[in-house]
Amino acid sequence: MNWHNGTMNGALRFKQLTQNVLSIVLILLLLLFCVTATAQDTLAPTHYTHEQKRDIGFQIARELRCPMAVNQNLFDSQSKIASELKGQIFLMLDEGQSKVAIIDFMVLRYGEKIRYMPALSSHTFILWFIPIILVLLAIIGLFFFVQPTLKAQKLTQDSPHD
Amino acid sequence: MIPEIGLTLLIVSSTLSFTLSFITIVGIKLNSKYLLSYTKPLTTLMCLTLISSILSLAYCFLVNDFSVAYVANNSNTQLATLYKVAAVWGSHEGSMLFWVVAIAVWATFIINRAPVTDQYFHQKLVAVAALLILGFCLFLLFTSSPFTRLLPGIPIEGRDLNPILQDIGLVIHPPLLFLGYVGLTICFAAAVAALLSGGLSQQYARYLQPWAILAWVFLTGGNAFGSWWAYNELGWGGWWFWDPVENASFIPWLVSTAMVHSILLTAKRGILGSCSIFLTIMAFSLSLLGSFLVRSGVVQSVHAFASDPTRGVSILILLIVFSGSAMALFAQRTSIKAAPMTFSLLSKESLILFGNMLLVIAAISVLLGTCYPLIFEVITGQTISVGAPYFNSIFIPIAALIFLLMGLAPLQNWQHSAKMRKPLILAAVCMLMALIITLVTRDTFSFWLLLGLFSSLWIISATGLALVQRIAFKDYELGTGKDSSSLRFYAMCFAHLGVAISILGVTLVSNFESEELLRMGPGQGKTLAGYSFIYDETQAVERNSYTAIQAQIRVLDNQNQFVTYLYPQRQTFKTNGMEMSAAGIHSGFLGDLYISMGQKLTNKRGLNDNEYLIRISYKPLVSWIWLGALFMMLSGLVIVFSTSKSVVPMPSLTLKYREHTNELA
Repeated sequence: MNWHNGTMNGALRFKQLTQNVLSIVLILLLLLFCVTATAQDTLAPTHYTHEQKRDIGFQIARELRCPMAVNQNLFDSQSKIASELKGQIFLMLDEGQSKVAIIDFMVLRYGEKIRYMPALSSHTFILWFIPIILVLLAIIGLFFFVQPTLKAQKLTQDSPHD
Repeated sequence: MIPEIGLTLLIVSSTLSFTLSFITIVGIKLNSKYLLSYTKPLTTLMCLTLISSILSLAYCFLVNDFSVAYVANNSNTQLATLYKVAAVWGSHEGSMLFWVVAIAVWATFIINRAPVTDQYFHQKLVAVAALLILGFCLFLLFTSSPFTRLLPGIPIEGRDLNPILQDIGLVIHPPLLFLGYVGLTICFAAAVAALLSGGLSQQYARYLQPWAILAWVFLTGGNAFGSWWAYNELGWGGWWFWDPVENASFIPWLVSTAMVHSILLTAKRGILGSCSIFLTIMAFSLSLLGSFLVRSGVVQSVHAFASDPTRGVSILILLIVFSGSAMALFAQRTSIKAAPMTFSLLSKESLILFGNMLLVIAAISVLLGTCYPLIFEVITGQTISVGAPYFNSIFIPIAALIFLLMGLAPLQNWQHSAKMRKPLILAAVCMLMALIITLVTRDTFSFWLLLGLFSSLWIISATGLALVQRIAFKDYELGTGKDSSSLRFYAMCFAHLGVAISILGVTLVSNFESEELLRMGPGQGKTLAGYSFIYDETQAVERNSYTAIQAQIRVLDNQNQFVTYLYPQRQTFKTNGMEMSAAGIHSGFLGDLYISMGQKLTNKRGLNDNEYLIRISYKPLVSWIWLGALFMMLSGLVIVFSTSKSVVPMPSLTLKYREHTNELA
């Protein structure tokens, strides 16, 4: 009987373990996806079709801040300088320059502030570091807080059989 | 005369609030029934004086009393009556007064409907609320009185109400948001009262639940309305920009969502009471911090108005005093040694707990991104921008994790993990469907599209499954019957479906929007997304408060059938010369046609300079974003009304109270 119960508990424990592992794997996969997704759009061809030019141009204009208007991107801003810079973006796209090159050019001309997506540097890594660390801490914390009680519960479940 | 009466009433109510909290606290300390009998009438009286005070301010607006500085700055003889009333809360001073009045009204409502069995808790709550009111009143009286006179140089005409605010959306949006903040204030008072009574018990959580949900409903409405209004009015085509002012109201929403779920957990299972208290304190503090960010003008924003650094400092002082003391109390009263959590890792409890943690992390990340440019500038002296691309890259992954849990939690059991087979199959099917749709509709693989589609499909199918299971279970177990817990379960499911609808709207509009930016003049046309847009003519428009030029643009569908005329405008306000653009929008269930009108362009040859920079967009499913919010709000209201009817004190507490009253008698 005792032996039988032991395997039952073992099977139960194993099932729970696989479930836990499965959920962790799911979460990690999701995180991995997110990281690769943010890293993917740096490569660009040198010759664009009309649609590509429009899409990339709008995308760049959305990621840059209008030097005139208060917290608006180039795309939305209706100030004069924003129109000029939009023109500049399309001019550079006509030349076949990449998105990264265009943004770098703008940063050189107007400073870091024009970038809505701050460049990853020793000053700004904290922006990504803190959220990721917090998520990891939350996952670890959850395991720590919930796991021991699981064992305790199992012990109480086990005791009647002994 | 009237403004002085208003001011006097404000002073009277601050003394009343002090008396109220003092008498109540002493009464509870001394167990004096006599002193405590004053709580109810004093609360009502304080509420009445505050209401009269704001009414006298409204009266000043209605009779155009420009000797009052606040009226002179925010109204005008030309202003329509509706906007004169809205102007009462249209700027800083009035909106703070509105906040205080609403706290008093809500508190009065609570104390007068409090069940006899838990008087102490409710009295403590009112005492704390009265202290908060006192703080706000002193803040109003000393730094931003709405009744300050402009004597003797009374202006003949007032400056206008900020033109941006002259819109029906802005009549509704700020009060909704403020009512949400008021709800958080009340929850804060309740949390402190619970701390003073030895922690958030299951019974207190049950009292707190409808208020918390109501606060959340108001906050949801405030955020959704704000975004809807920005989309319609501001003419920059966005419905969300992660602007600091938007974030300032979004952060409290995130935390209050966590708060609502945590309180639900405490009310239902009696666990994690201190977690609920902590989240409640956080939510209130963040709403104050948000007000500080917006009002002090430390952040640069498209929506910034009514900013003044001196007020910022006072709000910061209020924040430190309120939250600091509450946190100190929290630290003192709550033991670090947590109660054992007797639930498995995949039970409902732990999923909700993890979801709450993620919501708070999302809020912290948004707060970090919002404040980082400020911190950075102070430390290094350089300026950087942290904008939409950053927030999307951080927020969306965290949100996706939350959505994963959101679909799973209703399917799981309390305490024990259920079988994971069904949810896993469901998730796999959703992932497959999302993958197919992503690959078929787009040439290049878009991860964000996949994530958005998967999240909404997953929530819809998992919530649907949960609904089906619940209905089947009910038929099996209980037969038929309308018990309020089932009703609340259905309402919860519909709120979650609302989230899924919003996600779908957001995903589709961000991935399938087609747009063009081009110069257009009379007689020119453009086709986009199967529609033809023909610029007919430029018209001049004359309104009460502004003059405008508008383009009349005819829209034809792909069979060349007439659809509608759209009139994007560029408005110039008469009173202050401020320029604004209003978009022309044709809303449909499946998508919106959106046109905004930019600058007048000069032709290089100078021949035809009647051309404008026109932005045309087709935005698929954009209205679903707000439809989803409406779902959430309505479900929230259903829960509020079904709970407030069914709050029955638990027997053990009733007994305790009887013992207590016997002692008193």
